[in-house]
Amino acid sequence: MNSLERVFATVRGEPVDIRAFSLVLSLYGSRLTGCPLSSYFTEPEKYLAGQKAVVDLVDPDILCTPFALPLEAKAFGCTLKHFKNAPPNVIRPACKGLSDLSALLAPDMAHDPGLQYLIESTRLMAREFGSHKIIAAVLTAPVDLPALLVSIAEWIEALLFNSEIRDELLRRTGEHFVSLASALLEAGASYVITPAVFTNPHFLTPQMVREHIFPPLYKAFSLVPGPIVFHHGGSPLGVHLEMFKELPNVIGYVLDYRDSFAEARDIIGDVPVLLGNLSSPHLPALSPEDAYERTKKILVERAADPRFIFCTCGPDVPLSTSPETVKAVGRAVRDFVEEKP
Amino acid sequence: MNDDILTFRANLIDLIVEARRDQAVAVLKTVGEIRGLSYAVHEVLEPVLIEIGERWANDKLSLAQGYVAGKVAEDILLKMVKDSPCPERKRKGPVVLGNIEDDYHALGRKMVGIFLAAAGWEVVDLGNDVLPSLFVDKAEELGARIIAVSAMMLTTAENIALVREELNRRGLSGRIQLAVGGAVINYRPELVDSLGGDGTCSNAIQAPALFDILWARSLVFEKEAS
Repeated sequence: MNSLERVFATVRGEPVDIRAFSLVLSLYGSRLTGCPLSSYFTEPEKYLAGQKAVVDLVDPDILCTPFALPLEAKAFGCTLKHFKNAPPNVIRPACKGLSDLSALLAPDMAHDPGLQYLIESTRLMAREFGSHKIIAAVLTAPVDLPALLVSIAEWIEALLFNSEIRDELLRRTGEHFVSLASALLEAGASYVITPAVFTNPHFLTPQMVREHIFPPLYKAFSLVPGPIVFHHGGSPLGVHLEMFKELPNVIGYVLDYRDSFAEARDIIGDVPVLLGNLSSPHLPALSPEDAYERTKKILVERAADPRFIFCTCGPDVPLSTSPETVKAVGRAVRDFVEEKP
Repeated sequence: MNDDILTFRANLIDLIVEARRDQAVAVLKTVGEIRGLSYAVHEVLEPVLIEIGERWANDKLSLAQGYVAGKVAEDILLKMVKDSPCPERKRKGPVVLGNIEDDYHALGRKMVGIFLAAAGWEVVDLGNDVLPSLFVDKAEELGARIIAVSAMMLTTAENIALVREELNRRGLSGRIQLAVGGAVINYRPELVDSLGGDGTCSNAIQAPALFDILWARSLVFEKEAS
């Protein structure tokens, strides 16, 4: 089986030769090619070279498009800064406050350099790998993007105390989400993966999520012309899945390292794919042997689940992670001989 | 315990949990009109913040509810300052606070500042993207015994170790305590030691208790050193 066949079989719940797996190695490609991040996250060819190096290193079944969510915020007028060891980030929101929404630009999908970089990187990756690997396009959730556009504090302020501004921001980010998701799928992405922070009751109350977050998220997801993977966004998601299992077009859920797959499966049912849950931020501290054992432990635990894909969870794998540790994860997957139930 | 006070506290918790900021502040003002704002803060707000902080630390409350608690504390603190420009109680501090170099995630830092100020600490907030040497310069200039450094991501948190290096280089470790915090440190608590931190807490409401400990530790260190 090639990666494409392996992942498709997993989605259908059919047998596979080895467990499908991935690590989120968007950033890590720059380490492997020695490319400065200011070039890596602006030049699609450099990004592709990094992902080729990722394939050479560990050959995952799923590759990620650039995990650089603030590039979307830049298209709305935010100011970004490039760093030596991390993706670009917002250092100045597009608006000075909730009364300044007129400062928000309308993203220009055809000409904005950041959005064009995301789309072109996806196109190059699809051309290079699309015939045999899965390309996951990383995209900011419409309920999270306002936190970049107006700052986290102002977004919470709007969610709590200003329904008019909240709805206006969600309308704009929802439209952008659908447009960019459509463009990335058109460019060859296999699916869209969306880390969602402000959907989690760790950030908002379940009532707030149900009343104010779920409806616009549902609407945006329903308009995306392709499959979506819902990512935990940094907080445990499993016990809250009941709320999100009705979201349209979602084929899988990435769980946090603190989540229980068994509990999540009980809630979500047999069909959606569950992904996770080796913690990325913990990887730099793991020896190759530790990483191997942790990977194996997760594989053993999920051995009877046909719709499970092993992957890292949390953010991108840190640059300070040893390549030997990354390779050990891939080796553990390939060494693992599943005991058939 | 006076039943009225218990009722006020229970009512205040409910209002904060339900994100009814204005009504929560109104409760405190009502208590303030009857018994004085200082009483409202010490006997009603502070115990409520401790309860909210514990629930938050145990994932029983959300960031948004913690934010509401911060806003209520900020509102009542501003009213106290306005009504009584000369503080009724002894101020603590000063302490220096900021996001480490390359970190621009201000919310956690601002909330820590609010809760420290509400607890009587004089906070000098250096803002985002603060160089390690600037933290130490400012602490030396002000005579601060605590530097509090926030970072959200692992990549920026790694810069906190440079603050420890600077403290060591100037022979100030021990006298100046290094408080560290932020999402990645909650996620990986072992980072406190590896970055050279002297302590952390899992949310902003618990910062005043941590700072009391660190301040006392600094005094003990200085006494033993002399």
